[in-house]
Amino acid sequence: MASKRPYTIPGINRNGSTDLPVLKPFAPSQPVAFHTSAWLANMPAWTGFVLLLPLMLWPFASHAAGSFTMTDAFSALIRWMPFLLKSGFLFNVIISLFAMLIGTSLGIILGLGQISRNRFIKRVSWFFTQLFRNSPWLVLLFIVLLAFPFEVTIFGVIIPIPDWMKAVIGLSLPIMANISEIVRGAVLSVPTAQWEAAESLAFSRQQILWRIILPQCFKRMIPPWMNWYAILTMATPLCSLLGVEEIITLSRQAMEAENNHPELLVPFYSFALGLFFIYCYPIARVTMYLERRYSVKI
Amino acid sequence: MIKKILAGAVAASFAMSPMVATAESCSNDTWNKIMSRGKIVVGVKADYKPWGYRDTSGDIVGMEIDMANDVAAKMGVDIELVAVQSSNRMQFLEQGKIDLMIATMSDRADRREIVGIVGPNYYTSGTNVMSPKALGLTSWEDLRGKPVCGKQGAFYNQIVEQRYGAQVIAFTGNAEAKQALRDKKCIAWVYDDSSIGSDLSSGNWDDFEMPLNSEDDNPWALAVPSAERDCVFGRFMSGMQYQWHQDGSLVALEAKWGIKPTQYLADKKAQYGDWLAE
Repeated sequence: MASKRPYTIPGINRNGSTDLPVLKPFAPSQPVAFHTSAWLANMPAWTGFVLLLPLMLWPFASHAAGSFTMTDAFSALIRWMPFLLKSGFLFNVIISLFAMLIGTSLGIILGLGQISRNRFIKRVSWFFTQLFRNSPWLVLLFIVLLAFPFEVTIFGVIIPIPDWMKAVIGLSLPIMANISEIVRGAVLSVPTAQWEAAESLAFSRQQILWRIILPQCFKRMIPPWMNWYAILTMATPLCSLLGVEEIITLSRQAMEAENNHPELLVPFYSFALGLFFIYCYPIARVTMYLERRYSVKI
Repeated sequence: MIKKILAGAVAASFAMSPMVATAESCSNDTWNKIMSRGKIVVGVKADYKPWGYRDTSGDIVGMEIDMANDVAAKMGVDIELVAVQSSNRMQFLEQGKIDLMIATMSDRADRREIVGIVGPNYYTSGTNVMSPKALGLTSWEDLRGKPVCGKQGAFYNQIVEQRYGAQVIAFTGNAEAKQALRDKKCIAWVYDDSSIGSDLSSGNWDDFEMPLNSEDDNPWALAVPSAERDCVFGRFMSGMQYQWHQDGSLVALEAKWGIKPTQYLADKKAQYGDWLAE
């Protein structure tokens, strides 16, 4: 057989095939843990339109009572759209960006603290990670919003702390704790052989961490990090329960100004839903792409 | 020596009870703060048409905003409006986040202990329910044991619950509460009678009625921080309200914002009216 075609080598210049048992590459058929962004990204793009379908169908289902029609409700929505976008949704985005920035910075410090060799630092980091990771977000928000002052005086200068800034702090706490776990997990996921090899080359612990381990972790952390960003963005309407001015709070006030017709509910809330979908869907798709690209190959 | 200790104890007890302390000494912190920075921060509603609500550009407008503007004009300072909710308005005032609160608050004994409410009240409203005509409610007692929709933060939710044994389901907004009424999740929607009246006259609620006698004429109160109640700011706001009644500003504002004229404002205008004016 080999004498007929001497220059073909299976797996190199022709398809490899064997009937011997081999270890197939590991390909999980579904994500191991439930990932919001994976779930979101797995939706086909037309899902957004399906979600907006109630907008189109609602007129037929709603009560035909009274003179306030769906057309009125939609023209009301169109009147309010610029305001809801610029003073509402923009703040959701700003809150999520700042919360992510603060949460990530603190989370990295806390995560590295969790793998510290100093027992005290390790314990304290572990404690804060677990505390904020296992607390309801709304409760954290309540505590921060009610406990923080509305202005602070530093060297005689009065610095106001607006409500949305407090919301940023409140939301960054659980993000911090979850990023901390991501960092810890990523560092521990690097094979111990890497540590041993580096040690044998006389790198110090700090050098190993910064030059060898963390660069490898970075790629692994990106997908879960973006996953948490998507979760955080979708959690920002929680702030409406505390009166922070964001899209849901302002939608309510807009409906109030339009005399609280129940017909307004579906158009206004669907508008908010559509905005969140348009914003989070691309993030979820990119996360999935990066996850595939950086997945550990065996 | 004993005198000194006694004096110290007395001083301490004065410091402990804010009522006495304010009566003794007025530091007028809030008033001075407003004057020195040239701006008054007023807490108003942004979800209570037509007293305080947003226009499509996002500015807060309404009857109470007009009143707040008048206060700022008389003090000669700029104005900043802060949207407050029923759940946080008193905290904001006591924290100092707002200097003055004109936010559709009902004047209640328990609230007077927290914030500096000064009279005379600038408005009153009654509580009533909107319910389907088909139910034919005739008295408040008909609500006993039945689900009734309301808005969170309204004090009469509690009264309807305690006095008439209704089961109140409180929503964050009135639109939600009214939708629930339409969906038959509750037999009635409890709210201000003037609001219900304007809804019924809008022609969108033809199958509904306001069947009961309005309950609890609730006076509405504005408030200053409790430390300012018996000091310059409290007295000034009392005077503002008195003047609004006397010169008919409130009656005019009521008409301007399309609120059904209330007997209370007409009575007050007559009561405080100038006898030389005739």
